[in-house]
Amino acid sequence: MTVDEMDLVSQLKEAAPLRPAAYERARATLRAAMAESGPARGPEMVPVPGATPVREEGFSRARKRRGTVGTLGKVGIGAGIGAVAAAVAVVLVATSTPRSAAPAGSSTGASTGSAAQPPTATSPLMTLAAHIQASDTSPLPGNASLVIEDKKDSAGKTVEVVYALYTDSGILYTGDGKQTLMSSITQPMNPANNETYRWAVSARNAASGDLATARLRMINTFPNCFGLGLSPTAQKKLRANCWAAGAAQRREKMGDKAPTKQPTAKQVQSEIDNTLWVACDNALSWAGGDPRIREGVLRLLSTLPEVTVANSTTDGEPTLTITGGPGLFDDGSYHEVDTVDAKTGMPVSSMESGGGMAPSTQFFQFSRVTLADVKAGKF
Amino acid sequence: MTSDAELIGRSLAGDGQAFMEVICRHEVAVGAYLARRAGRAAAEDLLGDVWVAAFESRRTYDQSFAEARPWLYGVALNRLRHYWRSRPAEDLVPDVTSLANGWDPWPTVDARVDTQAVLRVAMAKLRSEEREVLTLVACEDLTVADAARVLGKPAGTARRLLHQARMALRNAPEVAALLTDLNNVKETQ
Repeated sequence: MTVDEMDLVSQLKEAAPLRPAAYERARATLRAAMAESGPARGPEMVPVPGATPVREEGFSRARKRRGTVGTLGKVGIGAGIGAVAAAVAVVLVATSTPRSAAPAGSSTGASTGSAAQPPTATSPLMTLAAHIQASDTSPLPGNASLVIEDKKDSAGKTVEVVYALYTDSGILYTGDGKQTLMSSITQPMNPANNETYRWAVSARNAASGDLATARLRMINTFPNCFGLGLSPTAQKKLRANCWAAGAAQRREKMGDKAPTKQPTAKQVQSEIDNTLWVACDNALSWAGGDPRIREGVLRLLSTLPEVTVANSTTDGEPTLTITGGPGLFDDGSYHEVDTVDAKTGMPVSSMESGGGMAPSTQFFQFSRVTLADVKAGKF
Repeated sequence: MTSDAELIGRSLAGDGQAFMEVICRHEVAVGAYLARRAGRAAAEDLLGDVWVAAFESRRTYDQSFAEARPWLYGVALNRLRHYWRSRPAEDLVPDVTSLANGWDPWPTVDARVDTQAVLRVAMAKLRSEEREVLTLVACEDLTVADAARVLGKPAGTARRLLHQARMALRNAPEVAALLTDLNNVKETQ
């Protein structure tokens, strides 16, 4: 076969390949730009009916999201969010389950249910966040936080183990064992498809500054139909558009029981609070080794009127028990309880029960490591 | 598999992760394109800028085209032009000595360097748009129609430019001699 000029030019195809870190850096640049641009507004928020969320690469584990069928406000987020991941596009669903009032004795102040609640001056979560900030003076050893999550059933039997490595540069790797974690470092999942990564970034940013703004940003980590931050007119239009766009899905899922009216303001507020709870819970569980993330999560949780805090003791050490009450979830029998170290805010355990599911508890072991050591299996 | 066009459409509807999937599909190709045009170091710096520029201009994407790679090349080329305009002239002279350094492990590297050096000199004499079409088709494996999309030109214009580029190369004395040598070697093998 005769060589021609095109064959010669094609030899110039060779080029030193870009290094893997360069691709990741470029993606991070894009993510930052996307975060700066904020969620899409107005008509752009009308979801594509039947759109399937982008599946998360690699291992993923969703923290439970208890909410309405078809979580209000999630527009095409990555999958890995449990049963709700099967819900497509965005649906506003009016539920018939009455929301319970905030439990008596709540240490987070009175509940109005219509807006973010400013934390009380004596909120133990804010106090702990301030203590963490004051203690966060020395550089942490290593360059990453490793958490081993051991999920046990009510009989104390391990049903699942998850390894997560959150680097100080904000990259999250996960695996269901040491080997898969090590493999994930060489073949990392795309953080853009990982909800926890994005929530961790928002939580970290909430460690300081205006809390109302931080709350808004955490809720809006992903595009949604809440319309928070929009003018009342634009918000109303957005929610109406989402409601209309989700009609077919509601009929498919609920048949004759599909609601015909948009959710009430109180129901929408409950969905918003649920979104914030789930985001904080995930960020704390996976990336809680970073003190700034713990600070941010605690500050954000203090704005939820349905969250109650109590002093407790775990294995002889003082802890705080943070309960997400039924008001956060659509099922009145369901609740979640997170236990954190009372001095450091480090997650100790997270229990969920009710809602027709077998109760289970995740126990966390956090440690500081280096990425190189984990990659070499030295952990 | 969901097309790039559909993912971009979802991105415009608020699904940020959809756009991330698009760029992940093409990041190796676009990164290699940047590296071929500006060297690896510059390519690693430019890639993120290309993604941001693509994200910000995704409304202009013609969703009748299922695959976004040509469009991304177009965004990358615009970014490259901006990069070149900001560089001192002497930085833009191709450094063929780098071809013999570093990562190319093959023992015939010297011969390849000679061939590529001859070719680069000849290509430098082409009109820029002729060179662009030629490299997009020969190095990026695009069709002429897709190369036209990258450059924002009609397909007929791109075909003409490619023809002109090929004729110019074929008639360049150094390239003609090279082709003669190569084809003579093949005949004797």
